[in-house]
Amino acid sequence: MTDDKDVLRDVWFGRIPTCFTLYQDEITEREADPYYLLLPRISYLTLVTDKVKKHFQKVMRQEEVSEIWFEYEGTPLKWHYPIGLLFDLHASNTALPWSITVHFKNFPEKDLLHCHSKDVIEAHFMACIKEADALKHKSQVINEMQKKDHKQLWMGLQNDKFEQFWAINRKLMEYPPEDNGFRYIPFRIYQATTERPFIQKLFRPIASGGQLHTLGDLLKDVCPSAITTEGGDRRFLTHCTRCSVFPQNLSLR
Amino acid sequence: MEGQQSPATAAQGGPGASLCGAIPAPAGHLAVGCTRAPCMGRAGLGAPEGHSSPGDVGFGDSSQLGFSRSTQFQPCEGAVRSVSCGMAGEEDFFLEEKRFRQFCEEFVKHSQQIGDGWEWRTSKDLGDGYLCKTHFQVRNRHIPPDLKEKNNDNAEQILFAHVEEPSDECQAAAVCGTEETVRYEYHVLYSGSYQVPVLYFRACFLDGRPLTLDEIWGSVHASYQARLQEGPWDTITQQEHPILGQPFFVLHPCRTNEFISAVLRGSQEQHRHTNYITLWLSTVGPVVGLNLPLSYAKVAPEQSTAVAERALS
Repeated sequence: MTDDKDVLRDVWFGRIPTCFTLYQDEITEREADPYYLLLPRISYLTLVTDKVKKHFQKVMRQEEVSEIWFEYEGTPLKWHYPIGLLFDLHASNTALPWSITVHFKNFPEKDLLHCHSKDVIEAHFMACIKEADALKHKSQVINEMQKKDHKQLWMGLQNDKFEQFWAINRKLMEYPPEDNGFRYIPFRIYQATTERPFIQKLFRPIASGGQLHTLGDLLKDVCPSAITTEGGDRRFLTHCTRCSVFPQNLSLR
Repeated sequence: MEGQQSPATAAQGGPGASLCGAIPAPAGHLAVGCTRAPCMGRAGLGAPEGHSSPGDVGFGDSSQLGFSRSTQFQPCEGAVRSVSCGMAGEEDFFLEEKRFRQFCEEFVKHSQQIGDGWEWRTSKDLGDGYLCKTHFQVRNRHIPPDLKEKNNDNAEQILFAHVEEPSDECQAAAVCGTEETVRYEYHVLYSGSYQVPVLYFRACFLDGRPLTLDEIWGSVHASYQARLQEGPWDTITQQEHPILGQPFFVLHPCRTNEFISAVLRGSQEQHRHTNYITLWLSTVGPVVGLNLPLSYAKVAPEQSTAVAERALS
């Protein structure tokens, strides 16, 4: 993994320039200016938008403010997806900055999970880490870590500390030399057009004959309709999250 | 669950007596908080010492829990047993997806026979699926403030009647006239990552307004009180349904494999058929107001005897 450090840093420090605008029907005491922010691809909306919230709450009355939520062109944005994933899913073809609308009322209960505190984000983040390790190492690595190591992963993400995060995460990305890779590759394939949020299946990095599987093999196995020989623009964006960090080139190891 | 039983005796209890063997919870270890209703979005409720972070929610995550197990398990020689996890001393009984579907099929068949309302839904795109049941329940709405003031004693009685005697709900509702129908939905999905079933649920009023976790707890809390000391550690969080993409509440029984393994091992040794889904659902369902009639436990394999027995051996 060390020779991929450049890639890891590029992913970690990836940013999306975003313009936040208050929803027009929100009741304000004076006009609300839009708020511009560079959003980290690997983080979560509700974790990095405290300033956005403060900015708009300044022009609103307290009683008009309940749980904040975000929307892009009418689609509520799932805060529990990484920001980069949301952008790639909904707005990758559009010009920057990414325009997000901010709401403080009428929380869409049928679409979005609630996020009443940072603890909820932490719980979700750690659950993802743990599920990924269940696939990679039968949970052995994550379970052998101490509570403070788990906390360090979360704090690294929360405070944008690459070295602090990877000091722990590198253990989750290793495997014993006698193995040729993880037990299963943690991956999810997201599509904006389906009801099903993502495709996730058990997939081994090594084929029975011993050769390494490639991303193409995975797609063929898991999502064959995506690799048809017909014409048409089928693009695969690999968003490297902490659950499935591996190089974008071919090998899945 | 019937009480503090060791897994061995529970398994010998016969199908009618107890649907599952519970791991006795260590003394003083609260499962879901009974001091106050859990609020939405919080995981790790009522944590014992040493288990403080909400980030510690996880399946089969016993090594994170700050207490030592009071029950020692015998190592098992069964062929189905997987590699011991070592750290926590877990010996897991993994449920493969096709066995999950077999057990669900058997489960649904019995449900149909007794009219219990479970069905299997297959997803159109990938062919996976889940067990599903919807039921409606009448529950009391909170007493409106003016009624409270006028009939202080009555209101108190009504409130107590609701909390302590759920069967008197209708009577109480008739007295104060504020009953509401709630639609409960329960889904059982398979987790490939952890190789266990997972219980998803949600509830809404007839006008579509979803219940918050607090509101759901208000109606099951009383009946679960008795089980709090005995049940496995449970937490509830809100999550996206993996097939429907909508918010559901999810029950995360930690150490699912532990308590399941203990009982299934006993069944295996006695060459008795046990439906994993029945066993599991009868243990975790009551936490969220879902109860299974005892007749499920008496289900014997039909023509699929050979297949079912093989599934457990």
